[in-house]
Order: sequence, then structure tokens, then C-alpha cells
Amino acid sequence: MTDTHANDAAPSAPRKPRLRTWSAFGDIRKRPSEYEIVTHGTNWTLREGRKSPLEGNPSSPGNLWISTYRDRSPLQAEDWHGFRDPDSHTYRSYVMLQDEQETRVNGLLEQYAAAGADAALSPRWRRTLSQAYTPVRYLLHGSQQVEAYLGYIAPSSYITNAAALSAADLLRRVTQISYRTRELQLTDPDQGFATGERRVWEESAAWQPARKAIELALIAYDWGEAFTALNLVLLPTLDDVLLRQFGELARDNGDELTWLLTAYLRKDAERRARWSGALARYALAQRPENAEVLGKWVRKWSPRADAAADGLSTLLETLPEHGREAASVAAEAREARVSFLGDLGLGTAVSAG
Amino acid sequence: MTLLKREEWQGIVRDVDWTFGYVDDDAVYPDWQSGTGKIPREAWSKWEESYKVSYPDYVATQREKESSAYAVKAALQRSRTFETLDEGWKSATKMHFGGVSLVEYAGLLGELKMARFGLSPAWRNMAVFGALDEMRHAQITLFFGHEFVAKDPQYDWSQKAFHTNDWASISLRTLFDGMVIGPDVVDLAIQLPMTFETGFTNLQFVALSSDALEAGDINFANMISSIQTDEARHAQQGGPTLELLVEHDPVRAQWTIDKYFWFSARAFAALTGPVMDYYTPVEHRRQSYREFMEEWIIDQFVRTLQDYGLRRPWYWDEFMQGLDTWHHSLHLGFWNYRPTIWWKPAGGVDAESREWLREKYPDWDKFYLDKWTVIAENINAGNIEATLPETLPWLCSMCHLPNINPVYGRDGKWKTRNYPLKHNGTTYYFCTKGCRQIWWEDRDAVNHATVVDRFLAGEIQPMDLPGVLGWMGLTPEVMGDDAHGYAWAKSFADPRATGSGLLVGAR
Repeated sequence: MTDTHANDAAPSAPRKPRLRTWSAFGDIRKRPSEYEIVTHGTNWTLREGRKSPLEGNPSSPGNLWISTYRDRSPLQAEDWHGFRDPDSHTYRSYVMLQDEQETRVNGLLEQYAAAGADAALSPRWRRTLSQAYTPVRYLLHGSQQVEAYLGYIAPSSYITNAAALSAADLLRRVTQISYRTRELQLTDPDQGFATGERRVWEESAAWQPARKAIELALIAYDWGEAFTALNLVLLPTLDDVLLRQFGELARDNGDELTWLLTAYLRKDAERRARWSGALARYALAQRPENAEVLGKWVRKWSPRADAAADGLSTLLETLPEHGREAASVAAEAREARVSFLGDLGLGTAVSAG
Repeated sequence: MTLLKREEWQGIVRDVDWTFGYVDDDAVYPDWQSGTGKIPREAWSKWEESYKVSYPDYVATQREKESSAYAVKAALQRSRTFETLDEGWKSATKMHFGGVSLVEYAGLLGELKMARFGLSPAWRNMAVFGALDEMRHAQITLFFGHEFVAKDPQYDWSQKAFHTNDWASISLRTLFDGMVIGPDVVDLAIQLPMTFETGFTNLQFVALSSDALEAGDINFANMISSIQTDEARHAQQGGPTLELLVEHDPVRAQWTIDKYFWFSARAFAALTGPVMDYYTPVEHRRQSYREFMEEWIIDQFVRTLQDYGLRRPWYWDEFMQGLDTWHHSLHLGFWNYRPTIWWKPAGGVDAESREWLREKYPDWDKFYLDKWTVIAENINAGNIEATLPETLPWLCSMCHLPNINPVYGRDGKWKTRNYPLKHNGTTYYFCTKGCRQIWWEDRDAVNHATVVDRFLAGEIQPMDLPGVLGWMGLTPEVMGDDAHGYAWAKSFADPRATGSGLLVGAR
């Protein structure tokens, strides 16, 4: 490289060693992965030495919002940029993964449609789907909003990206349920598919605790609370009901397609649980006081999640021909969350709730 | 049997609004963030994008694009193209990598904000795709820039630029914080997808892609043209939002568009103007910046305004006059302040280039020739020192770019004005009347210290040029210098060139 600097005549300082990667990584031995190269330090509102997140008046609404709900959150760490998504997803790896998944799902949808599977389901099971399966898109859309918000307000681009991909996963799930809703409507136009779900969601007693939980999660603006409410408490509980247990229930009632589709969607839920669990662990390792911060939110949100699971459990007991006992549905959902949180070292917080 | 067509079921994906029963609608969609203002809440059900996309289509299309963009990159990695690229062109790419990669990421934050606070579910879903698109753009830009870090430390600023207090970074952060990260989502949709993406990104992506191909940088052209193919999808969030705003609050619509068209024009004059008219080797230029602006930006913008029943902005004449000056002045500013930037600006004013500039900009000589002549004379006299900055430039309190726009005075002379404005006992300075006017209207939100203000307030220590450079995060190996070792200046030594008589004390 030619260097034509005017003051080169002066005795120059020893040249810095050649960079191998972003200087932002500091003095590291190991070359960072592609995931790290494209994820590290990409949100400039988190730059070191900032006076306020955004340029412009520090008391502008945008600045006040971010300072309040992100920078002054009770959940604090020395350095959030040390957090890594255990799956190391980049945009590229994500679209590759999900395109493969969608191709498989499309194969299933085609096969079962060709076999006329929906017409072969019992009317009672189709009614179960109209009450317990297709109305879930409202809950998922609300979750998608909270997940997107978490991405906006998160204190590290590593968290933002993971949340953004999870928001996309939730849109995927809404999309798939919508597709199934139309198929079921075509087969059974009188069941209220595509037309009746909003009323079920807004009025059915069984859905109200879930609706209440997600409405409250939408206004949990502190980033740490939004994360805890949705990713550590509500979704781990409700996914157990709506994906695992409902999938098994579908199989028990002769609906293989729903069973298989929920199994595919569980991969997204598991991936979200992996990074969320890793983030909770990271927070605890960074600062012991975070145990109490997270614990407080876990105690606040767990009863809401349990109430939501309780409400839904009645549908799983009463609607299908081969139902599951409501109390055990709710207990298993609760247990799924308790064990997830227990593995993270948030067990005591849970038992106190 | 095949799958159902998207149109048969997509309506259900967006039928996900409900009436809140346990919380207030205002709490979920506070006006601070949702920004509905005078648009009635129920009007949002009419929001509809013209080009629909579904999740399975999205991942399939994008996977293909990613595979091909990265395959081209991998294939080219073995070539020695990089070594043969002109330094001026390389600087165009450094400027782009540093100035754009994290702006794409700001776009991701803005999209996520719309995905949360947008008042229509169709919009919120579209914004999720927008967020994915912007993540793609940030990541591909960073990844491509990273490849060159070992070859040239200026590429480190692909990631670093926006973390520093470099004056160019402050100016761009100010722009995008206000455009994308901070505002309510209605303003955001008018500012980012409508005005900036629909209006301006063609400039950086189409123009630069064509210049890149001409300059032999297939890798770069491949990257930005692949990025550009996503813009139409998420940029369409602006249209339906603007329709509602025009219907219910035309004054706000007009003001928001006017403001961000202006800011965007200022930023692109800095980002793209010098690249198109100076850094790209003259034989590789397809169009001048002005020609490109007229063909791709201005006609379309004026048509858009008409389509929505809006007027031309109040500053139109000043803006049009600026097409002949803004980017030339900013180029001069970048070149003069080259130790403060992370690329090596090409002077781009050798004899052949000056011919081209005169042809494209008939007034170029009148204002710029004498400045470059003095610089060249100093260089030719061996006095590079005299061409380097000793103080800070006066920066505009609004756009934070230097106050160096020449205007043609009534006395027939060109002069640079700094448009002062006194407010609460402080005099603020602006680059243009447009910036001054916008600052005044928005003074509570934008009131923001320039680098000069911070310097004068003693925030930057020590209070000398090395102190300023350190504060800006510049390290010696990154500070910019002339891309071609001042070779262009020799053309001024030609006896036919007019001496300025202003040679600064040769040593």
C-alpha cells in the first residue's frame, strides 16, 4: 500500500500489526466466525461513549423511550455483546434452513390434500380445530409483535437478530395456520373456519386468559421484561399445550397432518428456547443480581401463563372424541416451563411463584 | 393436486387484529410510537400493499438470491481483481461499506418498530419481511467489506464508522436516527420506505452498480444489485401509509416528505456525488451525478408528489441549484479534510476530468477551478502541508455537513454563506436556507451540538487537530490521503493552465 502522508518524514510510530478481522473484536486469537463478523456491534445506538442513544435532543421521545426501556432496564450486564446465539444464525443460514423446512411442509400439505385427509376427519375433530387450533393465529400475531419489539429494543445486535428471526418464525406459524384454515374452510364451510376465529378469541372463556396474557405482554415495554414474559414464560408454557400436546391430541384423533405440522413447528420453538435460555444464562453469569430481576418477572408472569394453559386445557379435554384430562394438560405445560427455567438456574424463582 | 394459491389464503394471515379487552388500545399503540395523529384508528383497516408476499415464497426466493450472490463472491475470491482496481474506485467502495452497512441495520430496527407498532396487521407482517431484508443487507455488506480488512485497514471502518465521532458518521447518524430509529412509525414509513428507499436508493444502488461494472469491480456490482432486488418489496410500505396520511393530514404528509427529501438529497450529495463525479475513473463514468438525479430521482419524485396530490417543496429552486454545487463542494471538503475520513478521496480534477466536469457542469470552472488551482500549485511546489486542514470546518447545525455551498451573489460574485439564525441567545449556522428552515420548525427535537460546538465547549481534548482526530476515532493507518498520490496536480503545471497567484508560502 502506498502511503503518501505528508508527515511521513517524521519518525513514525511502529506500524500496527495487520488486521485480520474487525478491530471491534479487540485482541482475539481465534478468527471470528461468519456469524460473528456479520452480527457484531451493528447497532450504533449502543456505541461506547454515547451521550444518548440517538443523535438529536436527548429528551426527544425516541431517546427517552430507548433510555428508559433499554438502557435503564433493571436487567443489566457488563457487556451484552458477549452473548451468542447457540445456533449462530445469520440471514443466509436462516433462509436456507427455513426454505428446506417449508419445502418439506409443502410436500406434506400436498400429499394430505391429495388424499382428501380433511374430509376424512370426524366433524367433531374439525370442530375441535376450529375452536382450539385456528384461533391461535391471534395469539401468535401478538407474540410476533412482542418478539419484533424485543428485537427493536434489545441491548445487543446479537439479541436483536435472534429476536427478529424468531418474529419471522412466528409469522411462518401464522402463515401455516392460515393456509390450513382455508383448506379446512373449503372442506367444511359451516364450522366457522376463517370467519369465526376472532369471536372465539375475543369471547370464548377458554381463550381469555391467553388473550389477557398476550395483551399484557404487548405493554411490557422494558426489554428484559418483554423477553422474560414472552420467551421464558408464556411461550414455553403455551407451546407445550399448542404444539406438543395438541399435536399428540391430533394424532390420537386421527389427524396425522396436524400432528406432523406441529412437530415441524416445534423446531422453531425449540430454537427460540435455545437462544432465550442461553441469554438468560448469560445474564445470570454476567451479574448475580440478575437472578432476582429475572426471578421477579418470572413470578409475575408464571401465574398468567398457568391461567392461559388452564383455559386452553379445558378445550383439549372437552372438544375431541379422545380428549386429554384438563388438569394433566395444564400440569404438563407448567412442568415444561418449570423444567426449562430450572435448567437455567431460575428454578427457585419458579417454586416461589 | 397442488397447493392452494396464495391469494386464496393470504387474507387470513393479515386478519389478525382484535379488540383489546384487558389493556387500552392507546397503551399498545401509543401515539409516540404508532403516530396515528389525525388518522382515525379505523382508517388503518384500508392499508393494503400492492405487491404481496408470503413466508414460503420469501424464503425460497431469498435463499436463491443468497446462494447466487455468495457463489459469485466465492468464484471471484480466487481472482486478482481487487489488486487491479483503481484506488479512487476502491475508495468509493470503502465509503459505501462504512457509510451504508450499519444504515441497513438501522433499517432493521425501523422495520422491527413498524412490525410492532404499525396500526395495520398487513403492514406489521410486511415489516417482518422488511426486517429480514435489512438484516440481509447489513450482513452481506459487512461480509463483503470484511474480506478486504487484511489488505487495507480502511475497510475496518465498514463496521467501525458509525461507532465513532467522525464528522461524517455524526452527520449520517443524525440523519438516520431521525429518519428510521427514533420517529413514530407513520413518519418512519413516509421517511424511510417512501422518501428514502423509493426515492433515493436507486441512486446508490443502480448508479453505483453500473459504475462498479465499468470499473471492473464485478464483486461489488454483484452485491449491490442483489441488494437492490429486495428494495421494491419493503419500500412499498410507504405508499399505503402516505395515502392515509394525505387523506387525513395532508400538511403533515407534505412536511414529512419535504423534510426527508431534503435531508436525503444532502446525504446523497455527500455519499454518491463525489463517487460518481470524481472517484470513478472518468473513462468509466456512465452519467454525471446531476444527470442521474434528474433522470432517476427528480422526475420520479415530482410524479409521486403529483400522484398523491402534494406540492413541490418550498425549497425547490434552492435544491435544483444545489445540483450544480452541493456535491462538488462536499467533494472539495472531503478531499481537504482527508485525514478525517476512512477512504482516500481521488482528487479527480486532472485535465481530462476537468473537461468532463465542464461539459457536465458549465459553471464548474467559475467556482471550483480557482480552488483546485491553488491546491495544485501548492502540491506542485512540494507544499502538501498547505493543502491540509488546520482547523475544523463550519458544520451545519441541521445536516452536520460543512457549510460550503457557494451561491451566486447579486454582485456577480460567488460566495459561501453560512445562513445564521439566533435562537435563545445562541447563533446557529446552516449550510442552506432549507436546513435552517427545517431546524427552526423542528428545533425542539433536532437541537443538537455539531462537532464544532462540542470542540468549543471543551468536550474534545486536547483542543488541536490531533486531539480532534483522536476524538473522531481516526488512527494514522486509516486517515485518508489522496488516492493517486496527487498525480492529478501535474496537469495544473501545464503552462496553459492559469496560475492563481495565491500560492501559499512554498517551503
